[in-house]
Amino acid sequence: MNLLANILEQLINGLTLGSIYALVALGYTMVYGILLMINFAHSEIFMLGAFAGCGVLALVPGLPWPIALALAFVLAMVACGFTAITIEKLAYKPLRKAPRLAPLISAIGVSIVLQNAMFLFHDDFLGFPSVLPLRRWEFGQFAVSSIQIIILVSSVSLMGALWLFVNHSRLGKAIRACSQDRDAAELMGIPVNRMISLTFFIGASLGAAAGILYSLYYGSIKYNMGFVPGMKAFTAAVLGGIGNIPGAMLGGLLLGVSESLGTAFLPQASWKDVFAFAILIIVLIVRPSGLLGERTAEKV
Amino acid sequence: MLNRARVVFVKSWVIFLAVGLIAACQPKVKTVKIAVGLPLTGDIASLGQGLRRAIEMAVAEHNAANPANPVELVSFDDRSDPKEAVSVANRIVADRSVVGVIGHFNSGCSIPASRVYAQNSLPMISPASSNPELTKQQLSPQWTYTKCVFRVNTTDNVQGSFGADFITQTLGMKKIAVIHDKTSYGQGVAEEFRNQVESRGSKIVAFEGLQVGDRDFRSLLTRVKALSPDALYFGGMFSEGGILVRQARDIGFKGAILLPEANYDEALLRVAGPAAEGAYVTFLGSPPELLDSAKDFVARYHERYPGVELKSYDHYGYETAQIFLDAIDAVGPDRQKVLTFIRNIKHDGVLGQTAFDEKGDTLNKTITLFQVKGGKFVPVPVTDKPKA
Repeated sequence: MNLLANILEQLINGLTLGSIYALVALGYTMVYGILLMINFAHSEIFMLGAFAGCGVLALVPGLPWPIALALAFVLAMVACGFTAITIEKLAYKPLRKAPRLAPLISAIGVSIVLQNAMFLFHDDFLGFPSVLPLRRWEFGQFAVSSIQIIILVSSVSLMGALWLFVNHSRLGKAIRACSQDRDAAELMGIPVNRMISLTFFIGASLGAAAGILYSLYYGSIKYNMGFVPGMKAFTAAVLGGIGNIPGAMLGGLLLGVSESLGTAFLPQASWKDVFAFAILIIVLIVRPSGLLGERTAEKV
Repeated sequence: MLNRARVVFVKSWVIFLAVGLIAACQPKVKTVKIAVGLPLTGDIASLGQGLRRAIEMAVAEHNAANPANPVELVSFDDRSDPKEAVSVANRIVADRSVVGVIGHFNSGCSIPASRVYAQNSLPMISPASSNPELTKQQLSPQWTYTKCVFRVNTTDNVQGSFGADFITQTLGMKKIAVIHDKTSYGQGVAEEFRNQVESRGSKIVAFEGLQVGDRDFRSLLTRVKALSPDALYFGGMFSEGGILVRQARDIGFKGAILLPEANYDEALLRVAGPAAEGAYVTFLGSPPELLDSAKDFVARYHERYPGVELKSYDHYGYETAQIFLDAIDAVGPDRQKVLTFIRNIKHDGVLGQTAFDEKGDTLNKTITLFQVKGGKFVPVPVTDKPKA
């Protein structure tokens, strides 16, 4: 295998993984942007999204795959969105005036509860229905699979839709106003609580979509599947500048690519995490608020 | 009437208290306990839970047959974490009524925990740990404790040499890539396999580690594939093995794939799907379906736990529990006597005959080879020289 084909293939591997990290990272970063809180239960929303998608796909075996998949996406995203709103109302809203560590601990608690609830439901791997027609296109020694293309296309379009929504709609403007200054936004007549719910809804539905894409890619789901990608996505959000939406996208892609190139070209493949986190540390030394983060003294 | 009702009430209280006092004053029946230290939560919880079900069944059957000498089971969760295993071990040895330990599962947990048990002369039988070091450590001069570690499954050096014979001689492969999960078990079995392959003159082109809990091995596999190996060996468990097999086929690896016994699990087939077709798995001993001695056990298991899948180590758990129960019935609840009894035991149970060598390893060194065909593990007679 020649070097160029190898680099290209590793780049595709990295971009695929990175775009999933980016989708999950958006959930962390949006909630942080509006509440200055790290929602550790987000990795469980990712897991719930995967299970919901699996459930929908298992219930509609006869449908052609694009319709079944679209149905799975929509239902899982809506279900997870409402779950996240409920979590916010039950576990975070009562603590909004509490010290900043309290909602963080509450989020960890929610994460443990959700994970164990799913453990009681099913304690082992569950196969994810393989609805996608598996194809591989080889160009000389470089190959791309149909799943990789679907993941790249759908995550890029979801991110594009989010970007349009946040920057070019009234609701998006209201969310941005809330994240700039919650009190001032309230004085301007923006229903802040509803905007917070909306933020949780959007973040969670992106997380749920990422959960489905991730399970399509890996073919199996499990109650603790959210932990590793959740951690990686959180890292990606910090790398890009937590609170910053394009930053989360950039951070996710960068983390995915550096992981796969690290695996490919370091003397030991297992050093990839060292490589990825070394990049994170260097970025944070040079730019303490992340790649695209604003320089504000209170954040991070 | 009201008064009478009150008298009846007071009388019944007096009787109740008196009965309680009499019961408390009677010589107390000493509780005998067997402790279980297994991963009941975490990545491989399903295997730990399965083992516990089998052990509970053995104890329940024993207690039903011997109502006068019941044995109590106490379970501890080591979460597959060596640190947690040591803390569990310390809690177990502190309870003097525990006469034996069934556990642990992961070699990485069993090895550090075994030292705690040995310091307290508490016999331990592992139903699954296969790293040779677990029992071999007892022969080292630094081992100043009692020899009290046993296991009912055979070890990775037996499995490694079997796998190496199969890959290099039966399949005639020359370039072999090895990936492992950096745990005591996974890296241990991978190293045994590597050494055995090299001693047979074939070449190891890659020896790489991956991270337990990771789900993306495509980059690693792309790197390994570039070295064009004939065969891939993975030292690790089904939780990573299934995904690895699937992704290896995804990126277009066409060589043979061989996996050790911790991959003999239905979950591997569910995770890898059609990609698992043709992959080989070596299993320590024989699975219950192939053992005449286990037929009855399998039937009773399904009767007791309807709708529950029998996991691949469950019969080992049952056997281990039976060995302890036999020992307790024969010599009484005494750690030292139980230990002596187990050292010399010749137990005819679900695994066939189990007896231990001077290290504590079972003398039953059977390895079964499976190939995935039509979404099932199908046993392969090794003399048949299957083609990859």
